[in-house]
Amino acid sequence: MARAVDRRAERRRVAVTGIGVVTPVGSGRETFWRKLLAGESGIAPVSSFDTSRFKVKLGAEVRGFDPAPWCERLDPGTLGRASQMAVAAARMALADAGLDAATLDAERVGVAMGTTSGEPLEIEIFNDALRAAGRDALDGALATRYPCHRIPGQIAAELGFAGVNVMLPNACAAGNYAVAFARDALASGRADVMLAGGADAFSRITYTGFARLGAITTDRCAPFDRERKGMVPGEGAGVLVLEPLEAARARGARVYAEVVGYGLSCDAHHMTASHPEGEGPARAMAMALADAGLRPEDVDYVSAHGTGTPTNDRLETLSLKRAFGAAAARVPMSSVKSMLGHTMGAASALEAAVCCLAIADGWIPPTTNYQHPDPDCDLDYVPNTARQVPVRVAMNNAYAFGGANASVLFAAAAG
Amino acid sequence: MGVLSPLGDSPAALHRALCAGASHLAPVEGFAVEGFSMNRAVELRGFDPARYLGDGNFRPLDRTGLLAACAARLALDDAGWTGDAVARGEFALLLGTMFGSLRTISEFDRRGLEAGPLYVKPFDFANSVINAAAGQTAIWHHLRGPNSTVCAGTASGVQAIALGADLVAEGRVEVAIAGGAEELCWESFVAFSRAGMVANGDGTPRPFDEKRSGFALGEGAAFLVLESGEGAAARGARVLAEVLGHGEAFDPSQGSDERRGAETVTRAVKLALEHAGLQAEDVSAVSAAASGHRRADAAEARGLAAALGMSVASVGVTAPKGAFGECLGASGALQAAALLAAMEVGELPGVAGFTAAPPGFPLWAISDRTTPVDLAVGLVDGVGLDGPCCALLLGRS
Repeated sequence: MARAVDRRAERRRVAVTGIGVVTPVGSGRETFWRKLLAGESGIAPVSSFDTSRFKVKLGAEVRGFDPAPWCERLDPGTLGRASQMAVAAARMALADAGLDAATLDAERVGVAMGTTSGEPLEIEIFNDALRAAGRDALDGALATRYPCHRIPGQIAAELGFAGVNVMLPNACAAGNYAVAFARDALASGRADVMLAGGADAFSRITYTGFARLGAITTDRCAPFDRERKGMVPGEGAGVLVLEPLEAARARGARVYAEVVGYGLSCDAHHMTASHPEGEGPARAMAMALADAGLRPEDVDYVSAHGTGTPTNDRLETLSLKRAFGAAAARVPMSSVKSMLGHTMGAASALEAAVCCLAIADGWIPPTTNYQHPDPDCDLDYVPNTARQVPVRVAMNNAYAFGGANASVLFAAAAG
Repeated sequence: MGVLSPLGDSPAALHRALCAGASHLAPVEGFAVEGFSMNRAVELRGFDPARYLGDGNFRPLDRTGLLAACAARLALDDAGWTGDAVARGEFALLLGTMFGSLRTISEFDRRGLEAGPLYVKPFDFANSVINAAAGQTAIWHHLRGPNSTVCAGTASGVQAIALGADLVAEGRVEVAIAGGAEELCWESFVAFSRAGMVANGDGTPRPFDEKRSGFALGEGAAFLVLESGEGAAARGARVLAEVLGHGEAFDPSQGSDERRGAETVTRAVKLALEHAGLQAEDVSAVSAAASGHRRADAAEARGLAAALGMSVASVGVTAPKGAFGECLGASGALQAAALLAAMEVGELPGVAGFTAAPPGFPLWAISDRTTPVDLAVGLVDGVGLDGPCCALLLGRS
C-alpha cells in the first residue's frame, strides 16, 4: 500500500576492519583465532548454575570475564551480562580497527546487534526474588535492564555513538541479520562506521529449553559426525567494525574482508524444526550469491551453522547441495561450534569473524571431534585439523528458531 | 493496514475512537494486580483470534504471537493479498516489539524451577525467544522472505516500518509487512510500575500536559503492507500512502539528559526530511510518541519544536498514547496506522488527557479537541525512553 522512495546516492562498498570477541575459548581476536586453529575447546561442565536436576551437564561458558576494564563511562554493575560482554567486544573491535571513539563523528556511527534471549539472567533474578520474598520484593529491572535493545544501546552509550541503533533479535541467525543491516546502512550512506554483531548470556532458561528439546549432547559436540548427539549451549559476544571500503583504504586501515552480499529467508514451516528439504536455507544462499554476483564455485569456504544435532547437520548438508549443486562437494565447510558451543545470538557474529579471518589469514579452522563419516553428511567438513588454503570468498550460514535463515558473503577486497 | 487495539480492530475504528476522546483505561482483568495502588491499563478484552484467523490450532502461539498473526491477517486482507499469492511470494516480515513475550519466558523459567526442567513445555521454549511472534506469524501466513524482529524500545514499531520500506526500496522484496506487536502482562505491569514510569492517581496518562505523571500501559498490534509503487499499480491495488523517508538517531545519555534527548529527536526528524527531500514546512501533522512520561515528553516537545522551526505554530500535533496507552514495541505502528486513517478523512484527533501545557511549552497547536487537517505529509515520531529514535514521513498518495 505504501511506496518506498529511494533517493540514495550510489551504493558504497563495505569493509570489515575490526574484530572483537568474548568467547568460551578466550577474548580478543588473536587468542580466539589461535585457539580455533589449534582445535581447542571451550566446552566444559556448567559452572554458573546447579545442573543436578539435568541429565546433561555440558556448557560453553565464558569464564572469569571481568567487564570493569571495558567500561570507562558506564558502571558495569548497571549492565546485564550480555551487555557487558557486548561492550567489551565493541571496545576490542574498535581498537582492532585502529579507531578512536573520541575522534569519530559520533552522529555517523551506528550499532546493530543480534541476540536470542537478550538478558535472560534478569528474568531469573526476577523469578528468584518472587519465589524467595514475594511480589513486594520485585523491582523495575525488567523494564530497564532486561529489554534487549539495551545491548546496542549500552555499546553506544559507552562509546558515545549517536547514529542509528537497533537490535535485531533473530535468535541464532541474529548476528548475520545485524551485519546485513549494517552493510546497508553504510552502503546507503546512513552511517560512516557501524559496529555489528551479536551477544547472549548463558542462562538456566536457555539450558532448560534445549535440554527439554533433547538437543544437548551428553559427551562431545561433534558436528557432521555419524555419532553426533547434539549441541552445547554457550554464550559470548562478537562485534565487527564495518566502514566504507574507500574510507578504510584512505586511512590505511587493515581490511579483513569486504561484505559483498547477503540473503535472508524464512522457512515459514515450524518454530524449532527446519524445513525437511532445506528449502529456506538454500534460498538464502542463492539470494546471497545473486546479491554478490557470484557463483557457487567462487566460494572457497563455508562457515556452517553446524550445531551438532542429528537433524541440523543432515539438513544443512542437504541445503548446501541444493544451493551449490556440484560445487558443494568441493567447498570446505567447517563448524566452529564444535569448539565454541552454540553461543546463540553471538554465534553468527563470531562465525562472521571466522570468515573474515579465514580470508585475511588463509587458514580454515576445523570441525573438531569428527571421527565417523556419515552417509547423510558426505561433504568436506575440514575434520579435526586446520587447513591452510587461500580463501577469496567465504559464506557464513546461520539458521534460527522461527525459521529465519541468513547467509552473508565476505570476500577479499580486490579492485 | 491492519490494527488490533482495545480502541478498535481497524484503522478507521481506531481513528474514530481517538477522535471521540473517550478513556479506555480500566482495571486490569487479564491478571491479578492486587498490591498495586494503581491497577489500570488499556487492555484488549475479549480477544478472539478465531475471529481473524478462522479455524486452526492456536495452541502453539502465545498472546504476542496471536496479536501479531491476527493483525498481519487484517493487513493482508486490507491490501487485497490472499491465499496462494502470499505463499508463492517471498514476503518480508518486520515485527517491532520490546519484549516478544515477557510472560512466556518468565512462566517458562518458573515452571522449570517449580516442576523441574523435565516438565517445561517445548512449545513454551520455542515462544520464549524474542523473535517467536515473527516466526509464528510467518508460519501462519506463509511469509517466506526476510523475517526480522526489530527492537528499539518504544521506537520499535516505527523502526520496523522504516526497515521494511528500505527492503522494498532496494528491490530486495516485492512486499514487506511491517509494524509491531506487544502484549500486556503481569510481568511488564510490575516492572513498569516499580520503575516509576506508570501514571499515578487514577492512572490517566496526560501526554505533554503539565500534570503528567507517567504513562498507561497498553497493548495491541498493527502492520502496514509495503510494496513498490510499480508493483501496487500493476496489481491494481488501492494505495493509501507513500513512505517518503525516515531518519534514525540515538541519545548516548540513554534518556537521562533531557537536552541530549531533545537533540536526538531533532536529528532523527531532520534526517527523515533530508531522506524525503522535504522541508520542515512541508509537514502537515505529527503523531508524537509522547505518552505522559515526564522527561521523555519534555525532550520530545523541545526536539520536535526545534526540527519544525517556524512551522511549529501551524503544524497539528497529536499524541495517541493518551488514549491507547504505551504499547511499547507496537506503539509506532499503531501511530502510523492511526495517522494514515486521519489522512484519509482529514481530521486530526486531539490529545486525550491534555488540559494545560507546562510553562514555556514549545508546541503551540496542541489540544484535546479534534481539528480538521489537510494531511498531505504526516510525521510519525518514535522515541525510545532510553536512547533510540526513529522518525518516519508518510505522504498522501
